[in-house]
Amino acid sequence: MEETEFDPVILAFCCNWCSYAGADLAGTSRFEYPTNVRIIRVMCSGRIEPTFVLEAFKDGADGVLITGCHPGDCHYVQGNYMMERRFAFIKEALKHLGIEPERLRLEWISAGEGEKFAALIRDTTQRIKELGPNPLTKTDAAIEAFKAQRLRWVIGIQQAGLKVDEQRYKAVSLKIMKDEIERQMIIVEIKEKGPQTIKELAEATKISPKEVLRHIIALKKIGVVSEAGEKEDAYLYKVS
Amino acid sequence: MGEEAPRIGVFICHCGINIGGVVKVPEVVKYARTLPNVAYSEDNIYTCSEAGLDSIKEAIKKYNLNRVVVASCTPRTHEPLFRSACREAGLNQYLFEMANIREQCSWVHAHQPEKATKKAKDIVRMAVARATWLMPQEEPELDIKDTSLVIGGGIAGMTAALTLANQGFKVYLVEKEAELGGNLRRLHKLYPTMQDTSEILMPTIEAVTMNKNVETLVSTVVSDVHGYVGNFKVTLSNNGGKRDVEVGTIIVACGAMNYTPPKGLYQYGEYPNIVTQLELDELLRNGKIKKPPERVVMIQCVGARKGEIRALDLAGFPKSDTARLLAKILKAKKEEGWPYCSKICCMNAIKNAILIKERFPQTDVIILYGDIRVYKEYEDFYSTARENQVKFVKHIEEVTPEITQGPEGKLIVEAYDALVGREMKLPCDWVVLSTPLIPRKEEVLLARMLKVPISQDGFLMEAHLKLRPVDTQMDGIFLAGAASGPKDVPESIVSAKAAAARASTLMANKKMRTEALTSVVDEKECIGCGLCEDICSYGAHYLEEGKSHTIAALCRGCGACAAECPRRAITMQHYTDEQILAQVKAALMEEI
Repeated sequence: MEETEFDPVILAFCCNWCSYAGADLAGTSRFEYPTNVRIIRVMCSGRIEPTFVLEAFKDGADGVLITGCHPGDCHYVQGNYMMERRFAFIKEALKHLGIEPERLRLEWISAGEGEKFAALIRDTTQRIKELGPNPLTKTDAAIEAFKAQRLRWVIGIQQAGLKVDEQRYKAVSLKIMKDEIERQMIIVEIKEKGPQTIKELAEATKISPKEVLRHIIALKKIGVVSEAGEKEDAYLYKVS
Repeated sequence: MGEEAPRIGVFICHCGINIGGVVKVPEVVKYARTLPNVAYSEDNIYTCSEAGLDSIKEAIKKYNLNRVVVASCTPRTHEPLFRSACREAGLNQYLFEMANIREQCSWVHAHQPEKATKKAKDIVRMAVARATWLMPQEEPELDIKDTSLVIGGGIAGMTAALTLANQGFKVYLVEKEAELGGNLRRLHKLYPTMQDTSEILMPTIEAVTMNKNVETLVSTVVSDVHGYVGNFKVTLSNNGGKRDVEVGTIIVACGAMNYTPPKGLYQYGEYPNIVTQLELDELLRNGKIKKPPERVVMIQCVGARKGEIRALDLAGFPKSDTARLLAKILKAKKEEGWPYCSKICCMNAIKNAILIKERFPQTDVIILYGDIRVYKEYEDFYSTARENQVKFVKHIEEVTPEITQGPEGKLIVEAYDALVGREMKLPCDWVVLSTPLIPRKEEVLLARMLKVPISQDGFLMEAHLKLRPVDTQMDGIFLAGAASGPKDVPESIVSAKAAAARASTLMANKKMRTEALTSVVDEKECIGCGLCEDICSYGAHYLEEGKSHTIAALCRGCGACAAECPRRAITMQHYTDEQILAQVKAALMEEI
């Protein structure tokens, strides 16, 4: 019985021209669907930043839906493609954070697809109910990573149409994303609990000590962290 | 947030029983009053009625409101109305926000009043949260120059130029060839009236030449375009000579061209008596076919409706790369043909078949087709051909007919009859290939200069296929004739007049208000990386002295640049991070 009582909150980002109009059409056509969805209107799905999605999960959203115009139909030519590429990064980031990637969905809804919108909400609500409540893992580090210049650049160069080998780009960019998230986790950890050793940081963040060392070296190089004394023959690190 | 603390007024609409019949409106009104920054709330039977709008205006004054939220229907229909009410009460219309509790609540949750009421509260809370962060915006006013540039001197371009000139606007008509006329110069007669093309072409050319408002520039091409609606600066080149003109609007009528099959396709180019319909037109006009042929076989859809119609991945092609996109399309289409129906070829084949029959009644004319598409009054035209003994034979299109040399200089067409299901061998004197109209290579350059996207088929793309068929995504640039896809003469003329009407609407007003919702660059944060310039579909960003700037007149407010900027230096006005995140937070807040 408990599962049926769980009433998820699903946040849906809709673009003004297609999917928001599709949601309106579901209304005009009186297609009923569960009350769990809350819609946020943006002009274009291309406006939606990964941080919006991560903030939603941080604040307890059980599911997030991103909807936009069908490929080729974007009112702003290619905003939906940009969203689609960002989407791949967010999905991957959710995995690192221990949030089921199935909680995030990207769907194309045209202004004429009221029935599809209603069906999508029914289906998503059902799926999220099966998944259960948001595990509420920390997303702060990932939010900071997606605000940081390095990761934004990596996502951006692809949008700018730089000719790169797709396979290689994917591997490198996802690695960079993972690094950035882990580095932010380390920074968050130090900020919260004060200077720590590599061993302590590894335990707290569940990142291997070898990787923590690599991150600390990188962060030291750009002046984000620095040594702050010693503890049990190991250096303590603080955020500069 | 504005300078003064937000004082939000919330107006909740019953919409008769549309909302009130499901959502407990008074409960929502009471709830709204408990929300932060809400100074006033009330319900209305119909907020959009005159009484409702008056009530908003009065409340703005009485309670000194500086933000207004209306919870009712969709902003897609009613936002302009409520915005004007705010404006009339002296409130900047961008300090208004709508909560959609009808289309997205009461109408879809008719059987769950309790939950719908809770959802309505949530939606109102989200709108109030966003309203708190709203800022006043201004729509800048632009001057519109009352001159126009028409690119292409075919029937569409000339018609557009004449229509504008007759309304008193100065028009520059640019034609790359040495003479006006375009494709019609090569055509003999026009279906379905069988008029000589010259009957239409000559008077039009004369009218253009005589019109003092039209400045015709032949052997001239557009080599550069700068600026934006109302204020385009266009560089024209003529045999190395350059000239700059300033125009308010641009009509693109660069037309399309007839597809010539590559050598070898249907044995084209291997035998002199295998020709395209256009070449047959010229042969007929010049009386080059002297000996009555025994049989002429026409093959439809040569290089058209071929290959799978697949969505080309436009995503990999940012605006700076349209050339690569078109090159890719052209390459893919070269062998397999073009995916679309060119729509004029059926009528064109029927026309030439009738012409042959008129001249050589004894000649057997066979049209091999997959589908015959004769729309509107052209159905009669098709019947006429049948009455004139033109034979229509449906063949299996997947099997490309083979053409071989037969005895006595004849050709033999081998094809599969789709109805009988058997191979047929047709000895004939001429084989005529019906080939589609395809985009011109020049289009790509134009598309790039004008920042108008091209469609999957390679034509210039309209802003909306149904609702805005002659507009482009660029304000002030319109499409006439076959530039946006195959069109016959009447359709070209209709679209040319439509494009002229759209252009004159702008120019007659002399001024226009542009989008207030534009992106703004924080120069302190900007490092001049140029990513925004690369990704913007409208060319609204440019770099100067290492910083990015927004051209407000070009920005459409999608906000992609704000989402992409590595430095987070770009703010999308009216859809700022704060505004969107306030909604996210409010949506996920426990009811307060």
